[in-house]
Amino acid sequence: MGEYQDRYEFPDLKFNIQRGKKRDFRMEKREKKDMFVWPDLVVMEFLTAVALTIILIVWALLVNAPLLEVANPGISENPSKAPWYFVGLQELLVYFDPWIAGVMIPSIIIICLIMIPYVDINPRGSGRYTFSLRKFALINFNIGFLMWLVLILIGYFLRGPDWQLYWPWESWTVVKKVEDNLWSLDPVTGLTGLALYFGLGMIIPGLVSREFYRKCGPARYTIVMLSILLMYFVPIKIFLRLAFNIRYVLVTPWFNI
Amino acid sequence: MDVSADKQRINRRMFLKITGWGSFFVTIGIFIAGTVRFLFPRVLFEQPPTFKIGFPKDFLPAVPDMRQGTLRVYEQWKKDHSVWIVREGNRLYAIYAKCTHLGCTPNWFADERIFKCPCHGSRFYSNGVNFAGPAPRPLDRFRIFLASDGRITVDKSRIYRFRDFDKQGAYLYLEV
Amino acid sequence: MSRKKSLWKRIRRSQVWRSIFRHDYTDTRKNRILQIRSNIFLHIHPARIPSHAGKIRFTWCMGGITFFLFIVEVITGILLMFYYRPVIEYAYQDMKYLRFDVPFGIILRNIHRWAAHLMIATIMLHMLRVFLTGSYKPPREFNWVVGVNLLVITFLLSFTGYLLPWDQLAYWAITVGANMIRATPFIGHEGPFALVDKYNDIRFMLLGGTEIGANALLRFYVLHVIVLPLTAAVLVGVHFWRIRKDGGISRPL
Repeated sequence: MGEYQDRYEFPDLKFNIQRGKKRDFRMEKREKKDMFVWPDLVVMEFLTAVALTIILIVWALLVNAPLLEVANPGISENPSKAPWYFVGLQELLVYFDPWIAGVMIPSIIIICLIMIPYVDINPRGSGRYTFSLRKFALINFNIGFLMWLVLILIGYFLRGPDWQLYWPWESWTVVKKVEDNLWSLDPVTGLTGLALYFGLGMIIPGLVSREFYRKCGPARYTIVMLSILLMYFVPIKIFLRLAFNIRYVLVTPWFNI
Repeated sequence: MDVSADKQRINRRMFLKITGWGSFFVTIGIFIAGTVRFLFPRVLFEQPPTFKIGFPKDFLPAVPDMRQGTLRVYEQWKKDHSVWIVREGNRLYAIYAKCTHLGCTPNWFADERIFKCPCHGSRFYSNGVNFAGPAPRPLDRFRIFLASDGRITVDKSRIYRFRDFDKQGAYLYLEV
Repeated sequence: MSRKKSLWKRIRRSQVWRSIFRHDYTDTRKNRILQIRSNIFLHIHPARIPSHAGKIRFTWCMGGITFFLFIVEVITGILLMFYYRPVIEYAYQDMKYLRFDVPFGIILRNIHRWAAHLMIATIMLHMLRVFLTGSYKPPREFNWVVGVNLLVITFLLSFTGYLLPWDQLAYWAITVGANMIRATPFIGHEGPFALVDKYNDIRFMLLGGTEIGANALLRFYVLHVIVLPLTAAVLVGVHFWRIRKDGGISRPL
């Protein structure tokens, strides 16, 4: 061991091995709780990798990846489902036009995710599981995450031929009637409704909690509230469709929402 | 003297800085624009857009019944060209077999006399007008015309949407 | 027995051995640190970590598992590339060949497929864990952004890979996906305020044509095996690097 010691110097190592006498009390307290990566963590990582390899091999032996007939542009699969992680978006296609469900919603989700650390200025609750310190952030994020999951579950398990709702115990051979009594709000009502939703949604939380508005500042407040209002607009639209057969909330010559 | 020389030098430096960085970013910009253009091929190895479907007499019924609303859907061009030829009274038109929702291929159900899209359940009457499901508008139609050899030709490069269905070319008038 | 032992000792003392392993293996505090510091593959770790960082109930191990699955995807993917040709005439035949004749081909393909599915799940759980522990808070904001980009790339990898078997499942899933792109505002030919037609919109750029055909298959293949994995690998490097530079795994302040 000695021969290695004098030949190779690791300057930054000296701090760890021959510690100085003067030390920060907090650092010392922390270091007592520290663990070595070698071998403790490396062994854990190795065992995880081994376990996962076994799981993957067993899974691959038991279940074959699907391979249907060769691609045929003339015959559509019925139902043709996207892979499970996109089924949530496919489910949204029932309620929104493709440019919203397929383009705007994913883009907005990604942009909002990216902005999270810059708009969440609550300094508390970093590095541990807590609910009481970050109620607002956690409630909204988890509802969004849950929506993604629920839409996937509905799309994956409850949709049958023609993308109709089939309970798991119902036979897919029974043909379901397509809802053909959909109607749209007239432009004035629709515009008023949207203006009320977004306008009040922007103003009321700021009035109820002046503290929240003051801490965020106008720019952050607008971004946060707009993102949240957009997120809750999705289940609201779904509810309007299911409860009142409303197809579009807003009809314009260029696009429909 | 010194001051003006100093000024001169800074100006020259500014000039070189602007031209230098300018040409650098312009070159990068041209490279990116060229790469984007590169991704748009000029020649497509896809099916030719026009094909012939036969003479007008092939589409006349044995017993002439040219009342408005008499419909016949011809399915034999669907497989190769994604086209249904539909005769409605005296009008012959070519319906594009592609759902206006997300481009799945609908199917013709002769017994129910409707088109159904398997992907998201859109329904269309036999003239291609949507009545249920998420499809935003009726099925599109292709240009259909009588070529100089007397045969009916469908041109898939010209697409008519719902508002243009009455335009010249969106349908062919069959003389009895 | 003793000769064998001395041979082992001689190997360990040889110049070759010591040129590779700079330190011995005795379990000392120093060697535990050297083991990490002097090994290029292990040195993405710090030598010591706070003990809560080694608890699965804190990390769920989801980031590490995602990284491991990425490596699995790379290895199985490279092997599949030996048999798969991204040409319409061959692609489906090669899939059949892999499935029914190539030794272990079916297992490789299954692992590639299921690991990809699992990777989506673990990356989402990783994101959930990072959010629940508030680990995106300063100074780790930018690493969260890198992570979101990795999430998007993982989804794109799955999307591009889905077309490659060229079966009905692939064709129609991608048809629906590509037709959503067609509806992009401004740059898609069926979106609101379209500025383009079907020969120069964003969908045409992705597919290299107006239909899902030979060009689309080749493009998805190139994206799937080179462009996206390479980008992901670079971003994973940045992601790991930033964990260290931003003060290691998050801990209560």
